Amino acid sequence: MFRRRLPEWFVLLLPAIIVMAAVVLIPLLFSLYSSFTAYRLTRPSSLWRWIGTANYERILTDAKFWAAFGRTVLFLTIVLNLELILGLGIALLVNKVTWGQRTLRTVLMFPMMFSPILVGFQFKFIFNDNIGLVNNVLQSTGISDAALPWLVDGKLAMFSIMFAEIWMSTSVFAILILAGLFAMPRDPLEAAKVDGCTSWQTFRHITLPFLMPFIFIAMTIRSLDVARAYDIVQIMTGGGPARRTELIWTLMSRTGYVDARMGLANAMGYVSILLSILFTIYFFHKLSAARAQLGTGG
Amino acid sequence: MTEVTLSNVVKKYGAHQAVHGIDLDIADGEFVVLVGPSGCGKSTTLRMIAGLEDITGGEISIGGRVVNDLPPRERNISMVFQNYALYPHMTVEENLGFSLKIAKRPEPEVTAAVAKAASILGLDELMERKPAELSGGQRQRVAMGRAIVRHPDVFLFDEPLSNLDAKLRTQMRVEIKKLHQKVGNTIIYVTHDQVEAMTLADRIVLMRDGNIVQVGTPLDLFNQPADTFVATFIGSPPMNLIAGEITTGDTITLDGGLSIQVPSSARGRVRVGQKVQFGFRADNLMPVGHSVEEAGQKTQLDLTVTLTEPLGTETLLFTNMAGTEVQAKMLNPRPITPGESFEFELMLDKCHVFDAASGNAIRT
Amino acid sequence: MDRNLTHRNRRRGLKVLHFLALFLVMSIICIPGLWIVVNSFRPTVEIMAKPPVWNPSFSLAHYRAMFGGAGEGGVPVFSYFRNSLIVSVVSTAIAILIGMSGGYAFARYRFRGKSNYFVGLMLFRAVPGVALSLPLFIVFARLGIIDTHFGLILVYVAMNVPFTIWLTDGFFRQIPKELHEAAEIDGCTRWQAFWKVEFPVARSGVASAAIFAFLTSWNEFALASQLTRSVGSKTMPVGLLDFTAEFTINWGGMCALAVLMIVPALILTFIVQKHLIAGLTFGGVKG
Repeated sequence: MFRRRLPEWFVLLLPAIIVMAAVVLIPLLFSLYSSFTAYRLTRPSSLWRWIGTANYERILTDAKFWAAFGRTVLFLTIVLNLELILGLGIALLVNKVTWGQRTLRTVLMFPMMFSPILVGFQFKFIFNDNIGLVNNVLQSTGISDAALPWLVDGKLAMFSIMFAEIWMSTSVFAILILAGLFAMPRDPLEAAKVDGCTSWQTFRHITLPFLMPFIFIAMTIRSLDVARAYDIVQIMTGGGPARRTELIWTLMSRTGYVDARMGLANAMGYVSILLSILFTIYFFHKLSAARAQLGTGG
Repeated sequence: MTEVTLSNVVKKYGAHQAVHGIDLDIADGEFVVLVGPSGCGKSTTLRMIAGLEDITGGEISIGGRVVNDLPPRERNISMVFQNYALYPHMTVEENLGFSLKIAKRPEPEVTAAVAKAASILGLDELMERKPAELSGGQRQRVAMGRAIVRHPDVFLFDEPLSNLDAKLRTQMRVEIKKLHQKVGNTIIYVTHDQVEAMTLADRIVLMRDGNIVQVGTPLDLFNQPADTFVATFIGSPPMNLIAGEITTGDTITLDGGLSIQVPSSARGRVRVGQKVQFGFRADNLMPVGHSVEEAGQKTQLDLTVTLTEPLGTETLLFTNMAGTEVQAKMLNPRPITPGESFEFELMLDKCHVFDAASGNAIRT
Repeated sequence: MDRNLTHRNRRRGLKVLHFLALFLVMSIICIPGLWIVVNSFRPTVEIMAKPPVWNPSFSLAHYRAMFGGAGEGGVPVFSYFRNSLIVSVVSTAIAILIGMSGGYAFARYRFRGKSNYFVGLMLFRAVPGVALSLPLFIVFARLGIIDTHFGLILVYVAMNVPFTIWLTDGFFRQIPKELHEAAEIDGCTRWQAFWKVEFPVARSGVASAAIFAFLTSWNEFALASQLTRSVGSKTMPVGLLDFTAEFTINWGGMCALAVLMIVPALILTFIVQKHLIAGLTFGGVKG
């Protein structure tokens, strides 16, 4: 009989560890392995053909890959920053409302609850050059005569996708920052008013330092889900036309499933995983720092 | 000139009226204390003066200027909050200098002003600490330092000592009084503690349910309370009140049957049949041989002591008079067992008569 | 005197601006969804009309067609809905059990490497669904669980466990340890103490974690699109994309399908709003 009993915490944590290992860890390891092979779905035996870092080399020298990668980084940077600023602004606006705040908060949560596919579909419809809402309004009010190619032109398409993504995720920031504003003690704010601060100064010196942990929580949570943009892009433009809106994830998906070059796709996959993890670690680090700072001060 | 004037100031929250049209004139350099039970409107009034609450009606002027719609920063006031409201992420030094920094004063001026405030309040060793690392009393002093650094026209204090323990409270009371003597600005101070009001104020403003009940110097309110509310609020222990009725031109018959002469303060102003409250302080009822030697009208009563509270220099005695429990004082006390009887002297000249229905004092 | 007037006017002006800004924000949030709903009730002719018709007429044609099964190329809406429901509910239930168990471990016990485990779990969540779908596709294909409910449920459980652990960890920390100890003194075993005392108190937190997990599964696309092949297991997000790809003319029908997808999400939003924020921030700042 087993004399040694497993520590309780381990038993409690075991199911989680098993599931994560089975569904995530092992496939990831497999993915890593296959990225060093010339695996093609159409030729299963190619799984055993080891080609070393050839896939990676090919990616790193492929202009199309770099274009997609660069576009993805640019996309994420712009989108996350705008979401933060807009979210902060919205939170401040909603915070000042005296009645009906709960209703506003509920409305604010709507975009968070939509499937990214749904969001993408919404805006695919609205930005449609023929019958979309935007063009119809523009034309009916006479602002523009021609039908703007929201989903076709390179720059406009990127704009449309960013618009959809920002629409979907600004709420995360707004809601979390709102919670922070709610938790903030009022007294120092009044003291600042008496000390001579204008609204802007009060915000900059008192409110903002207090909000930093909340901002970083929001950033961390957001960074876990950056890849949801894939869903949006897939339904709105599919990465096209002609790769004008290609992000790293659509490229990866096409390489793997359409071109069936799994080894190569997995290599790309790993690059995208590294990207996500880097974002997450960066913000988590900042979160811990902000928490520590407020801990001694609060 | 930094006098503060309130004219018919009203505050309403929706349908609920918190302050009912109060008028008050505060002179330059005066230390005025707004005191009263919770919910009487004193904090609301202070915050309206500060600009932290909107004024529903009436007018407030500071230094001759109407300030109704001006934000706090344009009123040249300082405030010490009940919970200190220190900026948690700044050091003591930064907390003190913050307002000057916002006003874009040159750095040497800021450093000098901060150093001066710090030395006045004994904060020199705490400059690098953050509020979370300070004790309650230290935080309070930083809050006060922050207020004096700017040399404002008016200082506002919102129950600053409520969160301190009893010993620290008496200590800080002295500090605040010293501060006023040194700095000399107009101070408006809010508290619910009548001891603070009595010891600090040049004038006391006693409020209840959004109205001013009485304004006067501490001794005014102590010796000539306008009604039973003032009488029982000011002074510790509170004034004894016994219900009674005027039976002849100058006799009050107390509800327990005891008859007493109408005190000189109220003679000629009572009518027969009027229901009254007869009031006297514990200091006015003392056992023969353990009281102050004083001329004046006295009445002798035999009373039995039910409970004692020895305070050292004097003992509080609980006794039953005309069916009501009252408190008396004994100077030069000796140990007493409950149940002992004494012959007491009641100083009639110091007693008060209040109309039972309105509560107002009957006084010549 | 004059300064008072300036400030009064400024405050009034700011109030108006404030209101307008909020109105603008709320409009931007609500209009896209409302537009879809409105269009799901308009006949296709009207949607496609040029110049655009601004007075919407009302017609249930799309809904009838959708639920009718036939026509419109026969969209198997019920199947998609059923699949989504089964997969989401089952995966949520399992994820909650595993997540609660793990969350309790983090909240109540000290052990070596605790923060490492935590960070590790979170990082797994950071793996993009698309990137994970590649190896999963291969592995599942080998195991023969492509195009099954089971495969998708398995994946969704793994997806939801980290966040559930984070949320429940935060909620359990809110409950003072003394409650559990008092229950044990009163005669409960560890297990009883948990179910009778700690769980009821954390119930609302667990409920919001459950709703969050449900929504994540309900809305997920990247993995579902590759791990399901046939109508027997495709979920609604995949169905929507398919529909969009096939019938680019039938906007009305697609809108109707979209409405069917939104409705459960919106209902749950009302229920969860208060708890979700509490969960996210308790796990964050105070944790």
